[in-house]
Amino acid sequence: MRLFWSFTRQSFHSSAIYRFDFWLQLFSVFLMMYSVFWIWTILYHQRPGAFGISLEQMITYGVLGMALDTIFHPGRGPQMYIAQQIRSGAIDTDLMKPLDFHLHMLARHFGETLFRFSTLALPSLIIGYLFLDLQLPAGWAQGLLFVISLLLGFMVLFSLNFLLGLLAVVTLDIRSITWAYNGIVRFFAGQMVPLWVFPGFIGALAAVLPFKSIFYIPLSIYIGRLSGSEAWQAIGFQLVWICVLIPLGRLAWGRIHSRLVVQGG
Amino acid sequence: MISVRHLTKEFKRVKRKEGFLSGVRNLFSAEYTIKRAVDDISFEVREGEIVGYIGPNGAGKSTSIKMLSGILVPTSGHLEVNGIVPYKDRKANARQIGAVFGQKTQLWWDVPVIESLRLLKDIYKVSDRQYKRNLEIFNDLLELDTFCQTPVRQLSLGQRMRADLAAALQHDPKILFLDEPTIGVDIVAKEKLRTFIREINREFKVTVLLTTHDMWDIEKLCSRMLIIDHGQVIYDGSVEQIRDTYGGSRTLVVELEEEVADFSVPRAELVKSEGRKKWFRFNRLEASPSDLITQIGGRYPIVDLTVEEPEIEQLVRSIYQGQGRRTEVM
Ligand SMILES: Nc1ncnc2c1ncn2[C@@H]1O[C@H](COP(=O)(O)OP(=O)(O)O)[C@@H](O)[C@H]1O
Ligand SMILES: [Mg+2]
Repeated sequence: MRLFWSFTRQSFHSSAIYRFDFWLQLFSVFLMMYSVFWIWTILYHQRPGAFGISLEQMITYGVLGMALDTIFHPGRGPQMYIAQQIRSGAIDTDLMKPLDFHLHMLARHFGETLFRFSTLALPSLIIGYLFLDLQLPAGWAQGLLFVISLLLGFMVLFSLNFLLGLLAVVTLDIRSITWAYNGIVRFFAGQMVPLWVFPGFIGALAAVLPFKSIFYIPLSIYIGRLSGSEAWQAIGFQLVWICVLIPLGRLAWGRIHSRLVVQGG
Repeated sequence: MISVRHLTKEFKRVKRKEGFLSGVRNLFSAEYTIKRAVDDISFEVREGEIVGYIGPNGAGKSTSIKMLSGILVPTSGHLEVNGIVPYKDRKANARQIGAVFGQKTQLWWDVPVIESLRLLKDIYKVSDRQYKRNLEIFNDLLELDTFCQTPVRQLSLGQRMRADLAAALQHDPKILFLDEPTIGVDIVAKEKLRTFIREINREFKVTVLLTTHDMWDIEKLCSRMLIIDHGQVIYDGSVEQIRDTYGGSRTLVVELEEEVADFSVPRAELVKSEGRKKWFRFNRLEASPSDLITQIGGRYPIVDLTVEEPEIEQLVRSIYQGQGRRTEVM
């Protein structure tokens, strides 16, 4: 636990450096939230009642999804760090530390995520609340379940990203794969469009894949689409995937570590 | 302290495929070439020694150090660092060693140096007292306080190396591995690094294994050196002996005031000439630099001069030649 705190503190120290970058990112998040807001408003105007929930709920879903993209963007996970360390050879310095590599990556990424949450996601949410009809959760219980499922969503995304990062160790270049991966994750996670809007087969596929743990489940709990036992079932779904993905990642790392080649030197 | 016996490391290098989805296809690739980077190396390092580990590029120095740090698992052979087999107990080994890789930093790029040290303090579970005491030592000997609030990406190479040394030493390791710690660093900064390494060796009895391309590092720091080539030890002994036996040759580089035709000087050989600059190779035992300088200076005014130590590649060559001669005599 102390390690998580150390990495979080560390992340906050890199803050002031990228002030320009920060404003730029905040601005682009706002643009995305604004677009989502308008798209749903127009679609609801044309086909009211076609999407299963009220316009307010849908706008909240979309705007929240955009705000959380600042922390859950699949292109900014531990796989990027691992790939970069492998390319530069600096992975040696990570492997030398008296730390479990998987735990090290988790702590490091947790710290960065918490940093991005407080500096980017939170301001975006406040802007969304003030200007874009972002609703608050229906009650305390709902809010608490949302936070739990968000944390579990973080674990699922981290585990998937970690596996992709391990691929970088094996192939040394994951650029072409990253591109496809990011698309798949964002689509099946239900970040922009909730899964129940998906047509038959794709909807069924999205329902069993782990990706929906990242956006769809927390967002649906937030807007109250999933509540009570349904919400708990969804959280159970996340837990099952975490129980599959974490051992898988650790097992894969164990095997890769033993045949790890360190580039350069 | 360090014991290495018949250590061998082979790399299986995958023949990479190019093109679309090459990353995925490489996963299933089965074509290999085998490269033996370290080939049956044996040596011992005693506590408190500073040993120079040198050899040409690709000789296998970094690979050996990575095995000693527990980053790589040997293909065969035995190694032990202060009683621990690094690849079997990587974490325990990590706590008793420190390492600096010249071309790679373990510090966070965007974060002030001091914050990286604080993170490492937590990772290595260094106590507050130990942390404070070491920080004082680093401020004293490395002048860490002059740049510890600066992000690493804004540091000069020499400062970055000093910061990395501090990072490698704050958990009080008994053994320090330095892989080209002076590479790319200017002369003044190099001298600071050397003084520091000598100091921590003397004061805190840290055992040091050091690779370098700079013969001055060896001259100033090491009492003993190991020379390796093609993954094998070709020399293990004192620095003086190698200097007397093989490394007697020096190069005097003079820059003259104006361009002159090539000329010869007794007991020295003109090996290179570039306009106003001339390179004279001489043997330390036959001629002294001051004699040569007087002779040359008597004829043409000298603007600048340096005496160069032999290159490592040249040392290796003369070792092979020396061995060849010896076998001929026998
Ligand atoms: N990860 C690796 N995969 C394949 N070959 C490697 C790897 N690392 C080093 N080598 C090869 O092993 C040899 C020794 O490398 P290295 O130990 O880095 O040499 P040095 O540090 O003495 O310059 C070189 O021929 C190098 O190309
Ligand atoms: Mg090397």
